Amino acid sequence: MEKTEHKGKPFLEIFASTLQEDYRFPILELFTFLYTLGTFIFVSFQTYGGVTNEQVAYTMVTSLMGFPIFIFIILIFKNIAYGLGNDLEKGTIQTFFSYPLKRRSILTAKLLSAIVVALLIFLGIQISALYLLAPDIISNYIGTVLLTYSANIGYSLFLAAVLLLMTLKVKRGGLALVFGIILYFAIGVVNGILTVIAFVTGSAWPIQIIAVINPALALQQHYFSTGLAGSWTPSFNEVLWYVGGAFALVAVMFSISYVYFCRRLSL
Amino acid sequence: MSLIVAEDLVKKYGRVVAVDGLYLNVEEGAITGLIGPNGAGKTTTIKIVLGLLKPDRGHVEVFGQEPWDNPYLRELVGVVHEKAYFPSYQKVLDYIRRVCRIFGIPEARAHEVLGLVGLEDAYDRQIKALSAGMLQRFAIAHAIIHEPKLIVADEMTANLDPEGRSLLLDLVVNINKKEKTTFLLSSHILPELSRVCDSVAIINRGKVYAAGKLSELYEKYATEIIRINVEKPEKLAAELEKLSYIENIKTDARGISVRTAKGEEENLYEDAAKLAKKAKTKILGIETGSASLEELYRLVVTNENKKV
Repeated sequence: MEKTEHKGKPFLEIFASTLQEDYRFPILELFTFLYTLGTFIFVSFQTYGGVTNEQVAYTMVTSLMGFPIFIFIILIFKNIAYGLGNDLEKGTIQTFFSYPLKRRSILTAKLLSAIVVALLIFLGIQISALYLLAPDIISNYIGTVLLTYSANIGYSLFLAAVLLLMTLKVKRGGLALVFGIILYFAIGVVNGILTVIAFVTGSAWPIQIIAVINPALALQQHYFSTGLAGSWTPSFNEVLWYVGGAFALVAVMFSISYVYFCRRLSL
Repeated sequence: MSLIVAEDLVKKYGRVVAVDGLYLNVEEGAITGLIGPNGAGKTTTIKIVLGLLKPDRGHVEVFGQEPWDNPYLRELVGVVHEKAYFPSYQKVLDYIRRVCRIFGIPEARAHEVLGLVGLEDAYDRQIKALSAGMLQRFAIAHAIIHEPKLIVADEMTANLDPEGRSLLLDLVVNINKKEKTTFLLSSHILPELSRVCDSVAIINRGKVYAAGKLSELYEKYATEIIRINVEKPEKLAAELEKLSYIENIKTDARGISVRTAKGEEENLYEDAAKLAKKAKTKILGIETGSASLEELYRLVVTNENKKV
């Protein structure tokens, strides 16, 4: 039997296969509906505060994002813990390792499906809603819009990176999901404790610590420096450093996962 | 040429030593059985050979290369795992076609391999809806689809009914004959392996106790059965049965196993050659062996345990 002239496309096929598993009916439809519902419900009931148009743009984005970003976190948790985790637990990853593809490419295909596709759906619906609501404000302050999304998504990606490490280590889908949920609430508790410390002491350093993994707090302080750390008003450049730092931390954590998956993961 | 060379492999899981200084050679073109009881280290050895585990010590090469994270080797090796899993929501034919695209082979091959393993009626079934036996057949189709030069199978006949096991083992022999594909088959069901294997490696407690061609092992440890590898076993068997000194004769896809009355072995050699000519078939080889692979295994293990 002759082979075709063109070589196979293992990366694309594994990516397509993973997409088909992660977003099979009715998962894609359900999450798209939840994103849309969450976006437009907030549209209906929110009024937008702010003195400058930049602050209005910031407030509009953050108010629209509240419920949908929670849905985004649920979806990537599902895809990583339940998708990749189950593949590791049951042995589907062993099957992928029998294909002519480097391990890093297999992990990339899985993560593209798990995170990037979920992110594209989320952003697509969000930005479309923003253009429907206030096209002039959004067009003129697209930088603020993108920075606001980046700051908030950075935290979601941090959670995803930690969950990925846990999933690779425990190799159990259900257990990884439980760890992910505990992690989410544990970070929330830590955030709360640090916020209380900031309130009690009146100093900004607890919020600055939280801002390392959740740069949305730095951005919030930049636009509206009131409340618990009222003395801290980071400049725009400082906010960029926090956002960049958060993404750098996320990149480091994903790199650790890659190194583990490629060099250490035994099945 | 050895396609798989493993030297002094050691692998521990905590305190448990799964593989303890294992040496293994799998010759090109051979069907090699890796036999041993549950917990002997067969699956661990196979995982190391496939690059799924790193040994704590020792060295393994497949086609002269390290198997860990080696995409080139995947083109040359087909794998059947003890428990095979595939993306469960995809359909049988769709996924096998996808595998064709992964390896860059015509999608018509999908129909061919599914037919070989008897899954023609399951094209539109989701993989998660397959029974255990059907899933095992699917795994075998998946392993052979890209016509690899080496197939490594761990408990390949698990979950199959007797008819399925027989068909599969015949398929192994046919592929080996036609394509000269090398096989490494791990199993604890010795009668099945004795039908198809040229060579065996007997493994226990993480070590290979004995390895080599079956005939050599039989000669070393026991000599009771004469094994005649022949192109048309049924025809020769029909002629041999007429001989008075034949006590027992068993036929399979590869040849005939004959037990003679004591002292009649030399007569059998002469008569087999004459009768093969009469039956218009060609003898490929004659080996002496023990009564069964199970007995050989017991003899080897007992012998090695005495040394310890």
